[in-house]
Amino acid sequence: MEKPSYRKFFPPKRKFCRFCQRNIRDIDYKNVDILRKYVPERGKIAPRRVTGTCAYHQRKLATAIKRARLMAMLPYLED
Amino acid sequence: MKIYETGFLLAPNLSEDDTEKLITQMADVISQREGKLIKQERWGRHRMAYSIKRWSEAFYVFLHYEGRPDIPLELERRFKQTDAVLRYLTLQKEAQESTRRKRKKNAPPEPKEAAAEPRPAGQESGEEVK
Repeated sequence: MEKPSYRKFFPPKRKFCRFCQRNIRDIDYKNVDILRKYVPERGKIAPRRVTGTCAYHQRKLATAIKRARLMAMLPYLED
Repeated sequence: MKIYETGFLLAPNLSEDDTEKLITQMADVISQREGKLIKQERWGRHRMAYSIKRWSEAFYVFLHYEGRPDIPLELERRFKQTDAVLRYLTLQKEAQESTRRKRKKNAPPEPKEAAAEPRPAGQESGEEVK
């Protein structure tokens, strides 16, 4: 069994919160293109240690992804 | 008055007229209750990530409006009655001021913003920042 390789999506260099960088405060669930970067392959939410997102934005991101899932913009699981 | 955002998915088998009718109906609910429709977003037919009620695509509509809290209640009551509505989601928009933002502003002195000199009031009318 192979572990999901998050590294492929987020190379180890340059880890910082992309939302802080752009000074985005609220993450909109309708912005599927952005959310998609944080749900690789399997459709799971990527952990902070992988993406480098700060705690504040990770919380916002998680709710945004869950809302997007409800509205069928993102899958609950992808196989 | 609070700002709300309601999104809903309509079944793709509705004709264009029916879709239009449903959306205007919902918009009327807002205006009837002294609400103000700020923005209406239509994504149109969109593929869904998973199928709902055997449909694999849906018509996405988002309404942004301002008004009393009975508006979202009434809208949701209607959504539940209408079979063509596959999903809906209402959010109350947060107030623009965030505590986090304030704290950040107060902590370090910001040389960049201070350096940018405020322009005289008369000259600003020509530009509009989008």
